[in-house]
Amino acid sequence: MEERRVAETLRAAGAVAASSAPWSRMSPRGGGLRRFARRRSSVAVLLCLPLLALIGGLVLYPALYAVWLAMLNKHMTRFVGLGNFLFLLHRPAFQAVILQSVIFAVSAVVFKALIGFLLAHLLHAVPGRSQRVWRGLLLLPWVIPLAMSTLGWWWLFDPSYSAFNWVLNVFGVPSVPGLGATWWARFSVILVNVWYGAPFFMIMYLAALKSVPEQLYEAAAIDGAGAWARLRYITLPMMRNILSITILFSLIVTFANFDIVRILTAGGPQDQTHIFATYAFVAGIQSGDIPLGAAISLFMLPILALGAVFVLRGITRRSAEQAG
Amino acid sequence: MSSRPSLRSERRWALWGSYAALALFAVFFLTPPVYMLITSLKTSAEIGGQAGSPWVVRHPTLQNYLDLIGNPHFRVFFFNSLKVTLCVVAVSMAISVLAAFSLARMKFWGSGVLAAGVFLTYLVPDSLLFIPLFQIIGKLGLTNNVWCLVLLFPTLAVPFCTWIMIGYFASIPKELDEAALIDGASWMQLLFRIFIPVALPGIIAATIFAFTISWGTLLYPLAYLYSSDQMVLTVGILTELIRGDVFEWGRIMAGSLLAAMPPVLIYVFLMDYYIAGLTAGATKG
Amino acid sequence: MAQPGRVSRRTTLCLGAAVSCLPLFHIRTAGAAGRLSVGFWDHWVPGANAVMQRLVDRWAAANKVDVRVDFITSVGSKNLLTIAAEAEARTGHDIQAFPTWEVQDHAEHLAPMDDVVGRLVSAHGRMAPLIDYLAKVDGSYRAVPAISGSQYKPACARIDIFRDHAGMDLQAVFPAAAEMGPGYDSWTWEAFLKAAGQCFKAGAPFGLPMGQTSDAVDWVGALFNGFGAELVNAAGDVTVRSDAVRQVLDYAKRLMPLLPPDVYSWDDASNNRALISGKSALIFNPPSAWAVAVRDNPTVGAQCWTHPPPAGPKGRFTPFLPYFWGVWNFSANQEAAKDLIEFLSQRAQAEALCTASHGYDIPAFAGMLDFPVWAEEGPPKGTLYNYPVRPQHHAAASIAAWPAPPDLAVQIYNQATMTKMIARVAQSGETIERTIAWAEAELSGFRR
Repeated sequence: MEERRVAETLRAAGAVAASSAPWSRMSPRGGGLRRFARRRSSVAVLLCLPLLALIGGLVLYPALYAVWLAMLNKHMTRFVGLGNFLFLLHRPAFQAVILQSVIFAVSAVVFKALIGFLLAHLLHAVPGRSQRVWRGLLLLPWVIPLAMSTLGWWWLFDPSYSAFNWVLNVFGVPSVPGLGATWWARFSVILVNVWYGAPFFMIMYLAALKSVPEQLYEAAAIDGAGAWARLRYITLPMMRNILSITILFSLIVTFANFDIVRILTAGGPQDQTHIFATYAFVAGIQSGDIPLGAAISLFMLPILALGAVFVLRGITRRSAEQAG
Repeated sequence: MSSRPSLRSERRWALWGSYAALALFAVFFLTPPVYMLITSLKTSAEIGGQAGSPWVVRHPTLQNYLDLIGNPHFRVFFFNSLKVTLCVVAVSMAISVLAAFSLARMKFWGSGVLAAGVFLTYLVPDSLLFIPLFQIIGKLGLTNNVWCLVLLFPTLAVPFCTWIMIGYFASIPKELDEAALIDGASWMQLLFRIFIPVALPGIIAATIFAFTISWGTLLYPLAYLYSSDQMVLTVGILTELIRGDVFEWGRIMAGSLLAAMPPVLIYVFLMDYYIAGLTAGATKG
Repeated sequence: MAQPGRVSRRTTLCLGAAVSCLPLFHIRTAGAAGRLSVGFWDHWVPGANAVMQRLVDRWAAANKVDVRVDFITSVGSKNLLTIAAEAEARTGHDIQAFPTWEVQDHAEHLAPMDDVVGRLVSAHGRMAPLIDYLAKVDGSYRAVPAISGSQYKPACARIDIFRDHAGMDLQAVFPAAAEMGPGYDSWTWEAFLKAAGQCFKAGAPFGLPMGQTSDAVDWVGALFNGFGAELVNAAGDVTVRSDAVRQVLDYAKRLMPLLPPDVYSWDDASNNRALISGKSALIFNPPSAWAVAVRDNPTVGAQCWTHPPPAGPKGRFTPFLPYFWGVWNFSANQEAAKDLIEFLSQRAQAEALCTASHGYDIPAFAGMLDFPVWAEEGPPKGTLYNYPVRPQHHAAASIAAWPAPPDLAVQIYNQATMTKMIARVAQSGETIERTIAWAEAELSGFRR
């Protein structure tokens, strides 16, 4: 059905093109311009211009400015090169921040991906109408604005009137210091991040699952492939690009996360839940050392960028192979 | 022959297992919103009393909701959010559809690098950008102006939207545009007459993504908007309802749920398109 | 641009001589300049913003200046974000309300206010030395202590619980009168510890946060100051390895088991909730917690009594968190901005602000402590009388990390080094010596 629509629009497009053709013969100068405009690469660049302007003006330029900021001394009067970064590396407090950021981002992304993958499979197995209901319910965490839902979590964790602890107490389990003790607090901020991000993985994977041709599975079933083999040899290879792009995207934004930790623990207890963005906030904004804050925020960028380039190259290569 | 019923019952058990697992996760996913709903129905006195089960509402009241709906500030926040989001979605989609068309179909020098590079913009966190951006916003005279978000939010939405659209466009068979070009169609005609109509599910998916981002993002409005006629909903709720060390929990939760309504409605109605739209991008990427 | 500037500088000199003819002058001077945009602190007490707006409107009308006021909340550190961004971009409001440490941070972008402060002090009495510490940079005042938002954090305790379980009549020891009652001098940190134990046994432990937010840092700062425990001395040397610090950590080790176990994760609202719900006998806070208790839990609210914190071997210290009004030196209308600040700091305006905030706001000038609002607020009547530091308290307004040089102190304060030290000793069970070594490393990193 879709193909017919395409064919129709195609015919219409051809008709328009034909009717406008005489114009180009009438004015030679306009024709030159028109030829330029019809040249493939110039049109292509023109179409990308808004994107380039947006990224260049509102991301690249301020990012370079921030890099420059990160290389100044505290009062922004002297250029210190990589001094701020070296200073940070030698601080035990910052080493702890690096460790916690890695724990936070990696474990959150792993659980988001696993839960998302599992849920996508479960949903895929459920028939049409009820699938719609389930996936609507399960997508809710991703839909509620994060700052709002984190406030809700905070209220659930509230130390003196924790709704969780009330439930635990009913079952005779002693109260848990959800945000008060190091590992519980780490667990809690990761839990909230997983809660928020897993539905996004779920929906991306579900979309990917739906696009895997059913014939492949039927063929595999005839060949006697079990569930594991189908997963290993059909589902995973078909989903490889989407898996890597969602994990990459999620890893980047999780490393940059601010709202969850800031609202839930503000880095406590004893700085054990600080991650880059929240620590940068304390050092840069609250303690009036903007260059140091910028340096903290920039710290992960080279490492993540390197990883991202590899992942993206892999994706482009695979797409090219598929196309070719 | 005897294997048929057992296969069917096996399937049924698997299905019930799926339902059970889904229900388990649903409890996990829905606990916060449900607790927010419960809290939003309580009075401040009941919340402050901290007595008995927090999961029970003893004196249910809609006062928190009525207060918010009757609050002129809250209405201003809502409409600001709405108009900003609509503009952000329009701007983001225009930018990303044009760019994605170009990057997916009209290879030029550096297009491969650009297509991948766009995604790298997420590497620069907004917590780093907001200070340099304040200078740009200040020079443009847009400080404390809700329209500055129309400039800023696309930076968060466009890369992902572009990626979705590149994927979708790439899934459209090459033969189509070759035929159209031979027939004399211009590139723009190709885009508007063929690609956009065919890629509608992808466009809807990207639109929803842009909507979610610009409805819920906190940091930029938190830093750049300070008067109550310019604020958007997320910041407005935080700043109007939290009074220092006294939290109006009932009203905060009511406000949060009200703020979550528009995106929830969008997802409810457009979910099928969303999934269909992501599909093509998903496998090709 | 230079012309009106010179004229108004001359006129401000005249102003010093004749404050009474203030409105007359401004019609000529500031009126020529036209526009002013102000970022004031978004007040927590309902109704306080409206009074501020009215005062500003009155000044604006009298001086024919078009003033736009934005009330910027401190929730989510929004005001800090805005101030940092404005300082970076050299654009934004003319006047900003600067929280406690921010004047020091942005001194190089702030217009000197020595003339205004000088006139205010000569008219309204001296300021707490803490104001000099926070607002004077290189010998010059960079901001004026603000009325709106400045707060003390004395103790707010339950009359009934203290009477029944700690054997102490709060209203008798800390009467709403010009003299403190009998037993005031024995209200020490040791007595506090004993009372904490008794209230803990009675099921109403003290609600003392030990997280990293300002309520926690403030009361712990008063504790450290009371023991004379300086992490960094006034000269900027790290002096954490001292007997005073050991003493204070040892004290904390004895106190912490008498508090709710979850205080390490409390934020600035948790102690309020503990008091309001009736579960706690004492917190350190401005009157906002009591005010909400009166509204939401009146039986508790009527039993609250605000009084000075206990004294240590080195004296009695009441946590003080002043706000400041400052003018950016990139503002195009600095003279008018200074005039507005001076207008708001006059007695009549100050009293209006203090009254509108139900006594929450604290003027920095000694001559303004006779406003009747603190004696009249209730129930119980007089509960806020001892909220401002009064001469009979023999207490100093102080802040955590004082007297370290402010650029170090701000980091000690915001990174909550002191509460983290206590948490290490009392929660994680580390030895005092190891905790001190940790703090030494931490503090040396602040000096960069």
